[in-house]
Amino acid sequence: MSDFALEIENLTRTFGVRKALDGVSFNLKRGAFLSVFGPNGAGKTTLLRVLSTLAAPSRDSSVKVLGYDVVEDAVELREHIGVISHNPLLYPDLTADENLQFFADLYCLENPKERIDELLEAVELTHRRLDVVRGFSRGMVQRLALARTLLPSPELIFLDEPYSGLDPHASDILDSLIAGIREEHTFVMVSHDLEKGLSLCSDALILARGKVVLFEAAENIERDEFSRIFREAVGRGVS
Amino acid sequence: MKRQIQVAVVLIVLGGLLTTAAFFMSFYTASVQRFGTYTAEGHVDTVFDIAPSSEQVAGGVTYGRPWLAQKIFYFHVPVALASFLVFTIAAIFAVMFLIKKKKSYDTRSRLAVETSLIFTLATMITGILWTRASWGVWWEWEPRLTTYFILMILMVAYFVLRNSVSDEERRATYAAVFCIIAWIDVPISFMITRLIPSSHPVVFQPGMDVTNLVPFIAAMIGMLGVGYAVYMLRAAEENAEERLDMIREKLEA
Amino acid sequence: MQDERALPVSRKISSWRQFKAILRKDIVMELRTKEMLTSMGLYAILVLLIYYVALSQAGQGFDVTRIAGGLLLLAIVFTSMLGLNRSLVHEQDQGCLEALLLSPIDRPIIFFGKAVGNLIFLLLVQVFVVPLFYFIFLSGGMATEHTGPWWMVALALIVTSIGIAGVGTLLATMSVNTKGKDFILAVLFIPIMFPLLLVAVAALSAVITGDPEYVRIFWTMLGAAAVYDVIMISAAFALYEFILGA
Repeated sequence: MSDFALEIENLTRTFGVRKALDGVSFNLKRGAFLSVFGPNGAGKTTLLRVLSTLAAPSRDSSVKVLGYDVVEDAVELREHIGVISHNPLLYPDLTADENLQFFADLYCLENPKERIDELLEAVELTHRRLDVVRGFSRGMVQRLALARTLLPSPELIFLDEPYSGLDPHASDILDSLIAGIREEHTFVMVSHDLEKGLSLCSDALILARGKVVLFEAAENIERDEFSRIFREAVGRGVS
Repeated sequence: MKRQIQVAVVLIVLGGLLTTAAFFMSFYTASVQRFGTYTAEGHVDTVFDIAPSSEQVAGGVTYGRPWLAQKIFYFHVPVALASFLVFTIAAIFAVMFLIKKKKSYDTRSRLAVETSLIFTLATMITGILWTRASWGVWWEWEPRLTTYFILMILMVAYFVLRNSVSDEERRATYAAVFCIIAWIDVPISFMITRLIPSSHPVVFQPGMDVTNLVPFIAAMIGMLGVGYAVYMLRAAEENAEERLDMIREKLEA
Repeated sequence: MQDERALPVSRKISSWRQFKAILRKDIVMELRTKEMLTSMGLYAILVLLIYYVALSQAGQGFDVTRIAGGLLLLAIVFTSMLGLNRSLVHEQDQGCLEALLLSPIDRPIIFFGKAVGNLIFLLLVQVFVVPLFYFIFLSGGMATEHTGPWWMVALALIVTSIGIAGVGTLLATMSVNTKGKDFILAVLFIPIMFPLLLVAVAALSAVITGDPEYVRIFWTMLGAAAVYDVIMISAAFALYEFILGA
């Protein structure tokens, strides 16, 4: 079993002349927290979609996530990854319990009841388990979304702009939730928020126009230098 | 690309000449034409004389069946067959797109549907003229006409679908899937006059006279030539646009 | 070698369980909100009302049975488009379809789960609409005595509904991702469904009018409809994965 959560070599995704990703290569250790930065259209979302098996890379790319090939072993890989996005990915007309039950069935978990109880307890929603999600506050929805993601015990969690649309309070809740599971998981986060992203991460990646501009461990990052590179990348992306 | 345009122009000229020649032959050398029609009573032959026939009665209305009307056969049928053929090619490109996910296949498929739509419109116009002349009505909801009309609507729907999707790759995928499903109407429309009672004649049957067959084939080849030329010109245009995109992309990087 | 790794939570992927989960989820949601059934039912009643307006000046001698098959199917087609659109909008709304795609599920299961759910709702609406249609238009003095058996009508409607649910699920999955969702669904759905509607109306009309040869016509047309269902659903089944992946 390899030590790397992500082994990406020459990841390219093109359609016609447009290159969403252009020769992206890097490796990420298990247990790391990678923050991906970049201007709009830099390929952040595409990168996340490829890593989470929702989009296929070009043929000459080699992309392994947790040792699984994202194309050939997609179905197996899906059992080991989870996504938290700014969209809750929950059915508003189902109760908290029914939502989790549904996803437990999709992952074919055994003893789903116990697992659901345990998770609802962890995100402090046990008292609302029989309430319809539509009536939940934004923070509660985000907590339930986290429970849904953790349900099949994924090793790798993708965070797709998880803070967008959250008020400061809900954002604090999410912070503490992530901190609580930080130890035993690997994270890949896409974010606009430079401060937040840098404070959480162990490694940082800047993408611009589908290419890696910078890939560096957090402890080697000079704050001012990093902001300068980031601004430059944003400038290039906008032109 | 310049070469592509030159070839296209040559094809248009040759195709045009061939089609014109076919028309001359159809007027001056083609003999009596027989079409089989599969009706409720069984197999009926319709005979189109070489000379103008007298007044005829259909549906209680007396009308002069113009002798010329039959000559539209040499335009109507080749163009209709070409529309089926080109749409089939479009569906094949659509399948190839779904397998390879290359944008060029999507472009080819779309251009083929475009070309096919032109042929379909030409078939519709000539068909309506012929229907009026020989059945006495502009339009009749009979199986062939109906399924062919649906085919035309499907092609229009294909472009409506394309215009309503903004993401390029998603647009290409949806269009390819829809093209394949829509293609299922082609064999239905083609076979239907042979399967259920219909007033539309079955034109292909054994024993077609050589004097009929030669102008027919000439017109067919001519039409396909012109059609392919139209396709090539559009492809050249798309190519130019793609190159422009590529240059723009490079300048930005 | 990666397969030797034990998963923290034990599991065994079962397609049947996943299929049931999707179906149950749709039914539970519908029972709670009753959104689809009420909107489809109400819409069907409105269509029947319009029919009444259209036929109000037809006069005493007008034999409504001759067009009853067509009218009935038309009402079903329009209401089904409403339902199909709703059913897929639910998945699209909060990005739930993405969550489905992220789970270890074979894509065809999603297709069958959604299609079977849609079929159930479609048939439920018909259970309500068809008798209503009968009372409004066919129970009066206009109905002919030698109408065929009712189970034939039901069978024709079931075969048609299977086609509508199968192909409709595919087309609605496309159309919810476009600008102008319901309009696009109509533009794609009606011409694709056209051959099926034509033969279904032929089968229905033969039974309802009590045509002397209705048994022969009915089975021929129903056979054609079944062939259409098989071809179209196989195509939809094979192509659904591409739609989801886009």
